[in-house]
Amino acid sequence: MSSERTKPNYLFIALSVLGALFILFFGLRAFRAFKKFDGHRPPFPENLQTDVNDIEDWMTIPFISHNYGVPPDILFEALNIPDRENHKKSLKQINDEFFATQDGYVLETVRATILAHQPPAPPDSPNEPGAPLGATPPTTP
Amino acid sequence: MSDFLLTQVINYGAPLLGVILMLGGIGIPVPGTLLVIAAGAFVRQGYLTWYTTALISIVLVVIGDNISYSIGYLAREKILLRFSHTPRWIESEKFFQKWGALSVFFTRFLVTAIAIPVNLVAGTTRFPMNRFLLFDILGEVMWIFGYGGLGYIFGSQWELVNDFISNFGGFALGIILFVIGLRQARVWQLKKQSLSN
Repeated sequence: MSSERTKPNYLFIALSVLGALFILFFGLRAFRAFKKFDGHRPPFPENLQTDVNDIEDWMTIPFISHNYGVPPDILFEALNIPDRENHKKSLKQINDEFFATQDGYVLETVRATILAHQPPAPPDSPNEPGAPLGATPPTTP
Repeated sequence: MSDFLLTQVINYGAPLLGVILMLGGIGIPVPGTLLVIAAGAFVRQGYLTWYTTALISIVLVVIGDNISYSIGYLAREKILLRFSHTPRWIESEKFFQKWGALSVFFTRFLVTAIAIPVNLVAGTTRFPMNRFLLFDILGEVMWIFGYGGLGYIFGSQWELVNDFISNFGGFALGIILFVIGLRQARVWQLKKQSLSN
């Protein structure tokens, strides 16, 4: 009876092993994320976003338009689709619905249109339109 | 699913965010932390207003938590039929009466993966409702303002913050599991020693 009571409880051994695995796995991932995250200082308090690489598939045209200061009708016109039924759809939904054979077409078109139509950056801004935050301006030969 | 929910949050704003967080509080698996961080960034971008977003989110997530607490509370009789006299049940009830407040508080924002089991156990062990509510609100305020604040500070780079925080949550859970395992191993060792003496 007493030997049964002192039998090691395998549930707690499994908990410790699982805990150690979690510590290793998530610890390494958190460390890697922290290193990436540490290299990115909070952006300047800009009113408009400038880096088109931040545009993602889940965003809608009005949302992108709001963040980058380019009117939505310019973006819809560039995609050659009507505004009315599509303003709540994500770029991915639009791509799947209208350009199913061209993977990533909508994302690329929106990025290119933003770059072409973005309002010029204010003179004291450290960034050119379309340049990633903190990027050095291109030199002309 | 995260992408779909992000699209809907930018379409329907704070009310939808609140409903999603409430469903998360009930126990439906939704990427709540990701949405809170993203909402902070949307506030920064001028797409949401901070006070309505924070207020709606806190109220609805607290309602969700209290629903899962109530589920545990109502299920008590059935659970007692099976476990009521086992030493482990008595031990866990004592543990929760002692550490319940801190468990509720920290699982709201630090170890969110076990927030639902904690709500259910709190209800089942009849942890006082008013204390649950107090620590739940405090923890959720930390979650919404802390994580939403990080999203606000990092703006368009909120995904980097989310990547770090979600992994850190797993790391914290690992520490908790490991410490519980070690503690029980120590209890077992002491019991063995006392029996052999």
